[in-house]
Amino acid sequence: MAVTGRNLLGLDPDELSCCVSCGLCLSTCPTFRVSGEEAKSPRGRIAAMRLVSEGAAVTESFLEVISSCVMCRACETACPSSVHFGSLMEDTRASLAATTVPWWQTLAYKTLERPRLLRLLTGMGAVAQRLHLIPPALESRLSLPRLAVRQEPLTPTGSDVWLFTGCVMDAWQRPVHAAVIAVLSAMGFGVALPGAGAACCGALHSHAGLTSRAVTLAGRVMSAFPGDAPVLVDSAGCGAQLRDYGRLVGTDEAARFSARVHDVHEWLAARADLLPPVKAGAGPLTVAVQDPCHLRHVQKCHLPVRKVLSPYASVVELDDDGVCCGAGGAYSALRPEMARAIRQAKLSAIDAAAPDVVASANPGCSLWLAGGGAKVEHPMVLVAQRAGLV
Amino acid sequence: MTVGALIADLRCAIGADRVRADPFEMTLYDRDASTMRGSCAAVCLPASTAEVSAVLRTCRSHDWPFVARGSGTGLAGGAVPSGPKPPVVVVTTRMNRVLDVDVDNRLAWVEPGVINLDLSRAVAEHGLFFAPDPSSQQSCSVGGNVANNSGGPHCLLYGVTNAHIAALDVVLADGELVRLGGLDAEPDGLDLRGCFVGSEGTMGIATRICVRLTEKPRSVSTLLADFTDMGNAARAVSAVISAGIVPAALEMMDKTIIGVVEAYVQAGLPTDAEALLLVELDGLQGGVRVESAAVSAVLSGHGARSVRVAADDTERAVWWKARKSAFGAVARIAPNYYLHDCVVPRSVLVDVLGEVNAIARAEGLLVGNVFHAGDGNLHPLIVFDRREPGVEAKVHEAGRRIIEACVRAGGSLSGEHGIGLEKRDAMSLVFTEADMAAQKCLRDAFDPEGRCNPDKVLPSGTAGCGELASVPAGAWI
Repeated sequence: MAVTGRNLLGLDPDELSCCVSCGLCLSTCPTFRVSGEEAKSPRGRIAAMRLVSEGAAVTESFLEVISSCVMCRACETACPSSVHFGSLMEDTRASLAATTVPWWQTLAYKTLERPRLLRLLTGMGAVAQRLHLIPPALESRLSLPRLAVRQEPLTPTGSDVWLFTGCVMDAWQRPVHAAVIAVLSAMGFGVALPGAGAACCGALHSHAGLTSRAVTLAGRVMSAFPGDAPVLVDSAGCGAQLRDYGRLVGTDEAARFSARVHDVHEWLAARADLLPPVKAGAGPLTVAVQDPCHLRHVQKCHLPVRKVLSPYASVVELDDDGVCCGAGGAYSALRPEMARAIRQAKLSAIDAAAPDVVASANPGCSLWLAGGGAKVEHPMVLVAQRAGLV
Repeated sequence: MTVGALIADLRCAIGADRVRADPFEMTLYDRDASTMRGSCAAVCLPASTAEVSAVLRTCRSHDWPFVARGSGTGLAGGAVPSGPKPPVVVVTTRMNRVLDVDVDNRLAWVEPGVINLDLSRAVAEHGLFFAPDPSSQQSCSVGGNVANNSGGPHCLLYGVTNAHIAALDVVLADGELVRLGGLDAEPDGLDLRGCFVGSEGTMGIATRICVRLTEKPRSVSTLLADFTDMGNAARAVSAVISAGIVPAALEMMDKTIIGVVEAYVQAGLPTDAEALLLVELDGLQGGVRVESAAVSAVLSGHGARSVRVAADDTERAVWWKARKSAFGAVARIAPNYYLHDCVVPRSVLVDVLGEVNAIARAEGLLVGNVFHAGDGNLHPLIVFDRREPGVEAKVHEAGRRIIEACVRAGGSLSGEHGIGLEKRDAMSLVFTEADMAAQKCLRDAFDPEGRCNPDKVLPSGTAGCGELASVPAGAWI
């Protein structure tokens, strides 16, 4: 069934023709791995974009080709021609957003932009959890962790670096921020905290194709970090988005802001000699590193996580070549069946490595893997614990 | 019989969600990694031998042709659905289990959709690997390797896929399951397994494959030599082999390719060099050390500007990544490529390379060379932009002349990519009518009704069994 016969995509033909269909991306694509379908592979998705760009109708099957993508961008790392798959997919989704993004998704994203509302809902959710009022299916679909009824506020310790606090991360995983502040303070760096404007980085909006909203949010975030101190991010997905503001917003100011943004592990790895010592009496600990795709394939700085962890634990690798875990921001909530199939492969790789704990530097991945039964901690929480700081 | 009835019966046979007939989705199966296109009647995604058999029985009852497809990384159009009647595409990607690993006998039974590199990864803990290593090994399937008798850089020492397949369970065109080959050291009867490996999907669909595994080498040394003259590099290749050394791999890249792969991997390759040789030696530590020094001396003696030895596995991996990503990386120059796969005697490498470059120049085309120099397997890669008017005709003309030049030099049409659709009509350059009739005979014995990947390998109109009055002397039978 044709949804519309109009070519809506407006993609750069040179970028599209960059793909020579060699197929080297296939095995890195989580949806291809679990489905074996060309329509769920990067090569198939680009072929589909090309077909529509050349005049084919936008059908339900085309929308499925586009919406089934997790946007892990592993195919970009694998692509010898360096096709910018992420931009092609975001632009395609942006041109389809008006017809494809349901009202409830837009509404949910609005909540992320309002920290007080998110905190209120989180508090209500925490109470509801304790009263067993949340249907298990919904809890699993949203990867809800055990929510805190009340959270300790974070305290700034100086102005050497900014810490980006974000939306869900701050509402559901604030202890990670506390661990980052504790480690940085122990190393002698004062941490400044942004105001409410820095609540939502707009990554989920960008992934869904809600580009203009993402640009608005980018503006708010940038103005919440005045000066030129580095902006450290402890969520891989948010960090990738902040670093992309230069392209997204397209101004010099945005490019300058993006250049100030660092993944916290990357920043610490360059100062590893200052990391606090392991506390006396800490026993052995084996940590398997799960690379969030937005750290490995987008920010391309997944190795520093190992450097930062290595003084504190024995680091083991998962034998799956860093394939995505299926969380994909909102993907696990939007496409739970596919996401669970992808997660199963990751859980098997974790079982094979048999670590004491899995380190994941992205809130989405860690909640999603924990929902599958894995024991997961943020690398910075492990560092702070092993250094006796929390 | 109509397509509609066929699709309905296929859905009954293996379930509605395993049969795709949406025109948009089917278009995605029109091609493989080559530039050829076809069209299909339906796409089936069976998950077991029984389902493959059910699909083929259904095709038989409708007298419908079919084409097997693995990951679709083939370069000769072997998996392109083609022919007067659009075939059913049978995709094996969902049959991707390693069924059994016999460490003592170094054998493993695998399904055809297992990805080549996944197989090696699955047996790595036992110190074993699957030796055929096509450049697409991170994506290509073992079933596809069997179909094309695939090679890869390390096949210089270890041999191509045929040497690594012990037995095959094959579903024939009528849906019957047969075992070819066996686990005995010397199975009885004709080597039908040997016939099937490399038959490009024209004899049935292998649904269980027993592969031979190889012990990982104890020690590896990888050398990278750069030359300011292509001829010197080619002469160095022959000199290494003449010195009595068979490296595990001996690969060459020319200037065009060095530039594009360096842009991708950033390995510090010398982009001003005219040619690079990548030589890998493996075996026991002492032998590797001696051979490494000997090869290094031969390369220097033939004008290598520098010879580097990979310091560790990381550096080795980057060099190999550069080599194996070459075909995809040429899109940095232009969006389309036409890749050849001729094999020529090593002794004429220098002349043939010169001729290839001259042909491309004469047509005003850019050609890159990245290939298995050790066994004379050339991969001239013509890079072009299909949107440029008239360019395709020039590319095909250059391609034809390159093939003719290689055949004239005593070469063959394909080293490892297969004949498929791409080189089908060039078969007569190498084979006589009688040769091809004999091949057709063999194929007919497996698939008498001609429904297995029709339109491939043999030119249409090839005479079959008994259609030739006599077999001339010297025929390749």
